[in-house]
Parts: sequence; structure tokens; C-alpha cells
Amino acid sequence: MAEGSSQRVTYDARGLSEPTVETPKVSQIDGDRAVFDAGPLTTRQINRELRWLVYEEGVHDVTITNPGAKHSLGVAILTRCTITFEGSLGYFGCGLIDGPEIHITGRVGWSFGENMMSGVVVIDKNAGSLTGAAFRGGDLVVKGDVGARTGIDQKGGTILVGGNGGMNIGFMMQRGRQIYCGNVGPGLGDSMYDGSIYVAGSVKSLGIDCVEAEFTPADKEMIDRKFAIYDFGTPPAFRKFTCGRQLWNYDNLEPSERKLVL
Amino acid sequence: MSDASGNSPIVHHLSTRTGIDAEELAGRSFPYQHDLALVENVDLIASTPGKDLNWLEDVSLLVEDGVPAVFDRYSNSFLKIHFPIPPGREDEIARKVLITHLQSGNSYGIILKRKHAKFPQPELGPWVDGSDLVGQDWKPSVLEGWESPSGH
Repeated sequence: MAEGSSQRVTYDARGLSEPTVETPKVSQIDGDRAVFDAGPLTTRQINRELRWLVYEEGVHDVTITNPGAKHSLGVAILTRCTITFEGSLGYFGCGLIDGPEIHITGRVGWSFGENMMSGVVVIDKNAGSLTGAAFRGGDLVVKGDVGARTGIDQKGGTILVGGNGGMNIGFMMQRGRQIYCGNVGPGLGDSMYDGSIYVAGSVKSLGIDCVEAEFTPADKEMIDRKFAIYDFGTPPAFRKFTCGRQLWNYDNLEPSERKLVL
Repeated sequence: MSDASGNSPIVHHLSTRTGIDAEELAGRSFPYQHDLALVENVDLIASTPGKDLNWLEDVSLLVEDGVPAVFDRYSNSFLKIHFPIPPGREDEIARKVLITHLQSGNSYGIILKRKHAKFPQPELGPWVDGSDLVGQDWKPSVLEGWESPSGH
């Protein structure tokens, strides 16, 4: 159990609410596993503790109890490790990560997994809007529902949703895959440049330049594999949606970008 | 441009073309770009998080300057592959070359970390377990003689 924090958190318009902070070093470490109570700690203390464990103490498996829906927890973890949050997270949780495998037993707020580079994240309940914003790679699994604009500006990776999706799913999506076992709201795939969105339930409406496409054996192999890995049972029948390519407008100054998308 | 004697001096500089080449950034090429045997034994599943290829699922063989190449997102550059690639194994070989490049620390983005990383992080990121920490003592550069405007 962590000792109570004496750190005073004050509001600052520049975001410097905790300009100085020390690593609390309150974890119970047992070999390459550790557990600590986030309840009495501030956001920066929690993140400092987490990085200290996985970067400096050789810990590969961390359990964090009582995260209390605090914001911006578990961000910028750039190594292979396993992290479990026993509870819910606030907004911008687990952003900018590269490598960890994270399990969250509760819910998460908006912009979860923003700019995630690689790794695996499994959320047992619901996720807010903008889940996986600018998502780059890895697997982001939400067993419940997700909010509006999930996977906005997605550039790679797989977002697997056990429930429903809100409006403008895959807005401006550029690469990667999104899989919805339930229904999705209006404006699916609006202004998407590339990537694939699979929906098992109903689609309220398609967004601009989003079209239905042929569901191929490669699509089936990918969905079957993801369902098996994350114990999602037998996959239902899916419809596939992609970019209609009417909005493609690359100029000669962007050959690299065009090459990557194509 | 020529010097006073009329001889053209040797000028080393980056090219002005729009593509970015990993070899050009590093100033040299690497053995695993030239020899399939050096990447053949790379275990892609073990090299990535989770039970499948994870982020490598989005990596495929591309072509840059007419040469097979794989894109290194950590340095925003193309890593060319100069050996013949067996048909049917294009993406696999591209992924193996890229992972070897990252694990060896030769990616230009990794090379920059020791000087420019602003917060503590493993030098070789998620690709090699237990690599050195960098970015622990970063300090912003100071322009000599410069003072911040009043009120800042």
C-alpha cells in the first residue's frame, strides 16, 4: 500500500500542474513482477513509478490498483512489458505506447491509445470517443462499445470492438483495420483514404467516399485470427467498407506518402 | 562550383531528391541489406508484442528508386534491400530486414536518441530487452547571448 501523497496538484493553463515530482518508489516488487496502489498518487507520480519499474528495475509485469479514472495514465511506455490496470482510466490513457501489452479491467475515457505505435491493449468495458486516434500499429481491443470518431486518422493497426460504435467511425482513416461486432452510427468511414472497416451489425449511414467492398479470404483469415487470439468466439458475418477513392488527390510533392498509401 | 585552380572540389551533401534513404542518413549501408542469410533466422512473432505480427502486419515490401525497400517509420526513411528476394516471401523478408535494422540500433531515429531524447527511455525501445536508458539528462540548448523578451 502506498503512503499518502503530499504532492499538491494545482491548475496551470500551460498544463504544468505538477512541474516537479519525484518517483514515489512505493511498489511491492517480487522478482520481475510488481504491484502498486495508484489511489493516493498523482498522475505524474503514477507514470514515474511505472517507468521506474519497467525501465530501471527490470520489472516486466506491473499491476496498478485503484487508478481512479485519472487521466493520461500509462503513456509513453516504450518497452515490452505487461501492465494491468485494475479499474478505469480517464482521457488520453496509454497514448504514445510502443511495445507493452496492457489490460484494463474497467472503462476508459476519450482518446485512449492515441498515437499507439505497437503493442496490445485489451479493455474489458466501454471506451469513449476518439479511441485509437492517430493509431499507428498493434491491436486495440474493446470488449464493450466505443464512442464517436474511433480510429480518427488511423494510420495502421487493428481496432477490434465487441459492441457498437458511434458516429463517424474511421473518420479520415488512412490505413489499418477496424472490426465492429455490433452496430455503428452515421457517417461510417467519412473521408477515409484507405484501410478497412468491418461491421457485423447495422450501419446507420456511410460517410463521404466510403463504399462497401468485397469480403475476401484474406479478410476472413485476419478476422478469424484476431477472434481466436482475443477469445471472441465464432466470428459473425461481416460486411467490409473501404475508401471509394474519389477524394484521392496526391500532388507530385508527396511521392512517399502516396507510395505508402498505395 | 569550382575552386581558384579550376578543379571541382569534392562536396559531401545530402541529395535534394524527395525520397529519404536510410543509407544516406546513416552514411553507409548495412550487411543485412545485402545478405539474406543475415536475416533468415529472425523470429518475427518473438520480435513483436502479442500472439501475431502486431505492428508488422502493416509493413510490406515497397520499391524506392526502382529498388526493393522497406519503410522505417522510426526514421521516416526507406531501407533498400539489395539481395534477390525469393518469390512469395516479399513481405516476410522486408519485415525481417526492418526488425534487424531496429534491433541493431542502426535506425537513424535511434542514433539520434542519445543526444536528443527528452525523457528517459530504452535506447533500443521495444526491440531489445534491457538496452541502455537514454534521455535522462536532456537539457534544452542555449543560444549564447540570447535573452528571453521581458514578460516571458
